Amino acid sequence: MTTGSATTVMPPTSGTSRGSKGSGASSVQGGWRLGDAVLGLACRGSAALLALMLIALIGVLLHSAWPAIKQFGPGFLVSSEWRANEIERPLRDAAGAVVIRDGEVVTETLAPAFGALPVIWGTAVSSLIALVVAVPISLGAAIFLVRVAPKLRIAGAASFLIEFLAAVPSLAFGVWALFVLAPFFQEHIGPWLLRTFGEVHALRWMFYEKVTVAGRTIERPIALTGRDLLSGSLILAIMILPIITSVSRDVLRTVPRAQIEGTLALGATWWQSCMAMLRYGRSGLLGAIMLGLARAAGETMAVTMVIGNNNQISPSPFAPAQTMASVLANEFGEATEGLHRAALLYIALILLAMSLVFNVIARRLVVGRAARSPGS
Amino acid sequence: MRSIAEIRRRSISTMMFVLCAAGAALIVSLLLLVSGYLVWIGISSLSWEFLTAVPTGDVSNPGGMRHAIDGTIILVALASAVGVPVGVLAGVYLSEYSSEHVATGTLRFVADVLTGVPSIVVGILGYELVVVPVSRMTQSAVSFSGYAGAAALAFIMIPIVARTTEEMLRLVPRTYREGSLALGATRAQTIFRVVLPGAFGGIATGVMLAMGRIAGETAPLLFTALGSRLLTHNPAEPFPSLTLQIYTYATGPYPEQKRLAWAGLLVLLALLFVVNLSIRIVASRHARTRVGA
Repeated sequence: MTTGSATTVMPPTSGTSRGSKGSGASSVQGGWRLGDAVLGLACRGSAALLALMLIALIGVLLHSAWPAIKQFGPGFLVSSEWRANEIERPLRDAAGAVVIRDGEVVTETLAPAFGALPVIWGTAVSSLIALVVAVPISLGAAIFLVRVAPKLRIAGAASFLIEFLAAVPSLAFGVWALFVLAPFFQEHIGPWLLRTFGEVHALRWMFYEKVTVAGRTIERPIALTGRDLLSGSLILAIMILPIITSVSRDVLRTVPRAQIEGTLALGATWWQSCMAMLRYGRSGLLGAIMLGLARAAGETMAVTMVIGNNNQISPSPFAPAQTMASVLANEFGEATEGLHRAALLYIALILLAMSLVFNVIARRLVVGRAARSPGS
Repeated sequence: MRSIAEIRRRSISTMMFVLCAAGAALIVSLLLLVSGYLVWIGISSLSWEFLTAVPTGDVSNPGGMRHAIDGTIILVALASAVGVPVGVLAGVYLSEYSSEHVATGTLRFVADVLTGVPSIVVGILGYELVVVPVSRMTQSAVSFSGYAGAAALAFIMIPIVARTTEEMLRLVPRTYREGSLALGATRAQTIFRVVLPGAFGGIATGVMLAMGRIAGETAPLLFTALGSRLLTHNPAEPFPSLTLQIYTYATGPYPEQKRLAWAGLLVLLALLFVVNLSIRIVASRHARTRVGA
């Protein structure tokens, strides 16, 4: 971005009262010509700042994460170790017994190590569950808003409510989830599920976890605290409902009227004509879903408050988990040691890259669709 | 045979109609559930003391959130003081100077990309870009500050304001600009007297939406403003905000502080509701005057 390309020639009468009306038209015009130059410069400068912001974002994160990138490389993405500090523990042999040599317990020292797999897993699974829950509800609501609400004259009110829901800060959902949703799960849903399905052999993986204690692997029940992957996913689902709904609504509105009327004239039922609308707007709707996915993946506060914050990979939806955003919120403030901080920045970089990709694809899909069908 | 298929077809349609309506009803009732609960608990915890007192340090009688309310207002004002002019000017560039550079398309793309950056990442950028260098410069421990928090919030605000401004300016008919320029007005005159006033309602809406958005942000402030329990109006210090204080209280162990968290959320939500409502009013009034003009 060249910011110095202001083309206006400085007039000799620069510095006069620009903006004032009245006599001295030529000097006023001169002032405005100076105004042209100043405004041009300011606009170009501001626009350049936008570019600079993105460059700074990527540059600074890359620079600060570099020690971790150098040390762990791409293996960071598939490693599930997370030790912020050096750990000294008794060495065990293949059978799991403590090794004793010369009457002393032999210890091994584990260096700090970091891997992003648990948080990538947590982010992916929670976002996917959120999408599975939110997408059908959102699409249904969007269809309702486009096809039904205008006839009932409640489209304006319903749209306002949904847009206000989108403006509610994630902290509010977090507090609500922490004090209402999680206790409800803990006291009612969890015990009920355990009573009903706990002894079903095929579902044991949901309620029991295998842990290694003192070298032996045992199976123990997972504590149903309500602060787990499932709660985190559900609050995410609630939070991405408004964005998917409002973007889908805008996409469905661009479906030409003739298209809908055509299907109805051919004898389609209400739902069949809706299906035709969904088919017509499918790329835009995919974009809406991608936007929701991007939002879910980057969402921080609400998830941090209810997902349980445990860096582990567990197949059970009732086990506490951790997402990329929540590990940053939890640990970045306490990460004083260099490599720990760099590893967290590495995660921030991955999170940034991921949400950028989702956003770019989403915008291409939504905008591309709108451009092709200029609301006939 | 055919009639059975017909009945099936019709009943599926009816069922899906009900499900779609249920989806819309579910979203609206979720909003009512969350905000209703918030109002219910929040109102009982809200008091004059909440709005005027500062934290006492006593967990059974924790005082109020005056410091945090002031903090949020100052943070949003500081962020807007930078974010609004820069955002609007960048939007003017994207819309009005778009003919001069191939770069405009790229810049628009950059602005879109920036609006999608997760807010926690912005907070970490603020830490690395403002807090760390300032600490190094002043050779103090870690210089969390209101300025760093405001910078992070401005970072979120600028692309949003830029994109809305651009979109609103594009709605101003091309003929207005041509008419103004044909009458001998300079480019700056055209932009300030014709184009910007023509899009004022839309831009004001975008600005207010962005202010509402940053007022509710927590993640960008965690590692920049840090939060504080003191009433301070000096942004060079660790700075309180409503959201940070709510987060601290809500995740803390003390029931009295949790009540304050609910009350704080109610204040925040009421603020956002007023903003959203006034946006509607401004937008509709502006639309009316434009039609009248």
